Amino acid sequence: MKLSKLFLFGLLGGLFFNSCSSDDDNVDPQPEPEVGVYSEGLFVLNEGAQAAGTVTYISDDMETVENEIYQANNNDDLGMFLQSMFFHEDNAYIISNGSNLITAVDRNTFEVVGKVDSGLKVPYYAAVVGETAYVTNLAEVIDTPNDDYIALVDLKTLEVTGTIEIDGPASKIIAEDDFVYVQNSSYGVGNTITVINSATKDVVKTIQVNDGLTDMEIENDYLYVLGTGSIETIDLTTGQKVSEVVLTDDLQGASNLEVEDGTVYFTLDNAVYAMEVGATTSPSAPIIEYTSESQWGKMYGFEVEDGRIYIGDAGDFASNGFIEVYTTAGEFVKKINVGVGPNGFYFND
Amino acid sequence: MMKKSTFYLLFLALLNWTASFAQLDSINYLEEVFVSDVKLREFSTGQTLIKIDDSVSKLSRSALGEVLEFNSPIYFKENGLGMVSSPSFRGTTASQTAVLWNGININSQFNGQVNFNIISTVGIDEITVRGGGGSVVYGTGAIGGTVHLNNRLHFNQGFKNELFLQYGSYNTVDARYKTEASGELWSLSIAGARNSSDNDYEYPDNGENLNGQFFNNTLDVGLAYKIAPKNYLRAFSSFSHAGRHFSLIRPSETPTKYRDINSRNLLEWETGISHFKSTTKLAFLDESFRYYENLSSDKYSFGQAETFIARNDLEYTGFKDVKLASVLSNTHTSGEGSGIDDNSRNIFSAALLLKHHATQRFSYEAGLRKELTNNYESPVLFSAGAKYEFSSFYALKLNASKNFKIPTYNDLYWNPGGNPDLKPETSLQGEIGNSFRWQNFDLDLTAYYIDIKDMIRWLPASGGIWRPQNEDEVRSYGLEGLLGWEKHIGNGFLRLKGIYSYTVSENQKTSKQLIYVPYHKVTGSAGYAYGRWNFDYQLLFNGEVFTRSDNDPNYNLDAYTISNISTSYAFGQEKSYRLGARVRNIFDEAYQNVEDRWMPGVNFNIYLNLNF
Repeated sequence: MKLSKLFLFGLLGGLFFNSCSSDDDNVDPQPEPEVGVYSEGLFVLNEGAQAAGTVTYISDDMETVENEIYQANNNDDLGMFLQSMFFHEDNAYIISNGSNLITAVDRNTFEVVGKVDSGLKVPYYAAVVGETAYVTNLAEVIDTPNDDYIALVDLKTLEVTGTIEIDGPASKIIAEDDFVYVQNSSYGVGNTITVINSATKDVVKTIQVNDGLTDMEIENDYLYVLGTGSIETIDLTTGQKVSEVVLTDDLQGASNLEVEDGTVYFTLDNAVYAMEVGATTSPSAPIIEYTSESQWGKMYGFEVEDGRIYIGDAGDFASNGFIEVYTTAGEFVKKINVGVGPNGFYFND
Repeated sequence: MMKKSTFYLLFLALLNWTASFAQLDSINYLEEVFVSDVKLREFSTGQTLIKIDDSVSKLSRSALGEVLEFNSPIYFKENGLGMVSSPSFRGTTASQTAVLWNGININSQFNGQVNFNIISTVGIDEITVRGGGGSVVYGTGAIGGTVHLNNRLHFNQGFKNELFLQYGSYNTVDARYKTEASGELWSLSIAGARNSSDNDYEYPDNGENLNGQFFNNTLDVGLAYKIAPKNYLRAFSSFSHAGRHFSLIRPSETPTKYRDINSRNLLEWETGISHFKSTTKLAFLDESFRYYENLSSDKYSFGQAETFIARNDLEYTGFKDVKLASVLSNTHTSGEGSGIDDNSRNIFSAALLLKHHATQRFSYEAGLRKELTNNYESPVLFSAGAKYEFSSFYALKLNASKNFKIPTYNDLYWNPGGNPDLKPETSLQGEIGNSFRWQNFDLDLTAYYIDIKDMIRWLPASGGIWRPQNEDEVRSYGLEGLLGWEKHIGNGFLRLKGIYSYTVSENQKTSKQLIYVPYHKVTGSAGYAYGRWNFDYQLLFNGEVFTRSDNDPNYNLDAYTISNISTSYAFGQEKSYRLGARVRNIFDEAYQNVEDRWMPGVNFNIYLNLNF
């Protein structure tokens, strides 16, 4: 009896101690972020998943990286699921769709200025005309495609002063020349863009585009529209479609449209494609393919700015993601670890 | 008294135990009453059972999750007090712990899980926790372990009533009433309860728990009739109606709520002829939930499933020291919901079980199960267990099994994305248990290993549609220690219990510990009865948990320790009335069980318990 008991304890002990030695992975704690001035760089918006989203600051020279800058400067957080961010004058505004919240901060110190905490229902994106932010709201998700609306937020008082009903989904929104353009699609389902006259706050027309509206961009009075299988260019001064590139079969399901310095960029899976504005055929090879193990967070954020391409990778959404920076020629510049679910890049300049 | 004071029961090979063991009393006693789930005590060879007495469960709120949190090795993840409570048993996921009501699996058809905060313990007479595999007898989800909720029916006990009224902090009301009546040939039991709370406790720094209110109404009925000797008819019904709002982390968030209505009904006919005993069961389960995603509108999403089970348990005891048993069962489920078209599925299963008391000291069992269904490819499951008593002081237990968790309704039928080609999640697992008994001291040490493959995870597929895939592999191993000690001290009686669990559960691809699985969990309790007075102390320690899949320690939730105390005084000639008071979280520990979800600080309640 004694023997068998000893044997068992040996066995149990082996299990226990082995596990102790092999399971304690040492992870270096992150250095304490310094509280600094954020005027010369960019903000990475980290959506967050199980906890509140965060903002990472990266200096222009990419030497200074600070994660969780809002929490570091305020005894507070930004809310669940940070969707997007916008600037107006001295402030930056961060939209949390999970907490129905817009947090206004000083764009250089990230100290809180105020909050929009009523009148919003799953707010997504915003465009600013004058002192008014047009904020799209998905409202209820269940069986209610037609309750989406735009909340008009007075940026002086941070109050919602009115709403504009949108017949269909309301997601991305862009202001251009006193008109506001609203992408009527959610998760790639939809084929119209609503145009609002900011002077009257009325819907003035609806632009029909190809099916599978995924993203849109306005550059120099031209509206660029990415659909499931095409990129359309529409002249906003005439309202006429001026060109259309049909994407080849292997480019179906592209996303993340950006137009910068005469080049159109979009992404598919882990690849970035580029083509000249006005091109008539879709590109045959990507300019960048980056390495990602993410099963559904590849290219979760994407931006092209001042000769650089920024890619956000969300990993498994249950741990911190990373960004990669490339030149527009496709050369790798840097990889930087950020927060959970990096979905956007905002340049403070 | 001896029976009640024993913390856990090893039902196995009980006939071999010497008469000095307390457990024997309860077995003799069980023969005078009806318990549906007789397989639990007959086919758990090599496993360890933890039985939670009524007197112990009454120290907790009526929610099953809280009772088990303080009295079992199971770790619970709770989204704030009273919100969704999901188990991790031996490091497994929430759908890998099966909950059996009188032997019938009651995990949700939609997600395979049980919210342990909407299961009320009030209508339950026996709560037993069994660690380790159990799919051969109990079917899907019995990987980490099983939780058994059983009803007992007594004969010849006359007419008895019990009223329990409790009131506490946050306007928490817990009212329970139970009546039992029985004669020589029949027995009836009815239990009704309501539990509700405003649940608006304050957070440690600032703010309060907004939109956290809940209620739970339950009604349980049991009926037995003795048609002839060895020929019984019995019926059990359980009905519950639960409503709970989901608490907000920030006031600007959209308030939501859930409404659950569940009914479970079981009819059994047991008859014995010669060496055969046959139990035929018909069960009907109805689960229905509604999720209101915005309280300002009456729109909701829903799910509703009806399950019919026809089952026969046959036992043959004609061979010396051998019990042979078969279980044939047919389960038909039809369900629909938001995102799920009306679908039905049928599962036929056959299981064969053998138990042999080979010698006075040695017993073993073996079992096989196979299911026939069009829904998934069903593997052959097995279990094998043995127990050897080296002496009255020490027994060795071994158990190995293959178990599974079948794809749920959501996995198979969600539109779009449901994947009809999914395989069940399967586990291969084993455990070694050591039982030590010395005078008033009991110690059980169990080491286990579980290898789980084909775990189902939803991933995006073409066209932005999410589809479940057999994706993950997890390996869990660890140690469970159960300790019990009791002693008469002067005119008083002292009882101590403790549970420690060490759990490693890692994703085999990344070798990282799963999030929300603590390495360490400890529970402890001390009860002292002196004359008409009772004093109780409860302890819960949950170790640090990871909240990020890469185990980044910056985001870990701190370990916490909770202590509860209570005292009560019995009055009346028969001591059948009791007045008590409790203080929970007496040291006002500020803690979170889930990231950003604060739990309540110190809180109080008083109760009155009348037996008449």
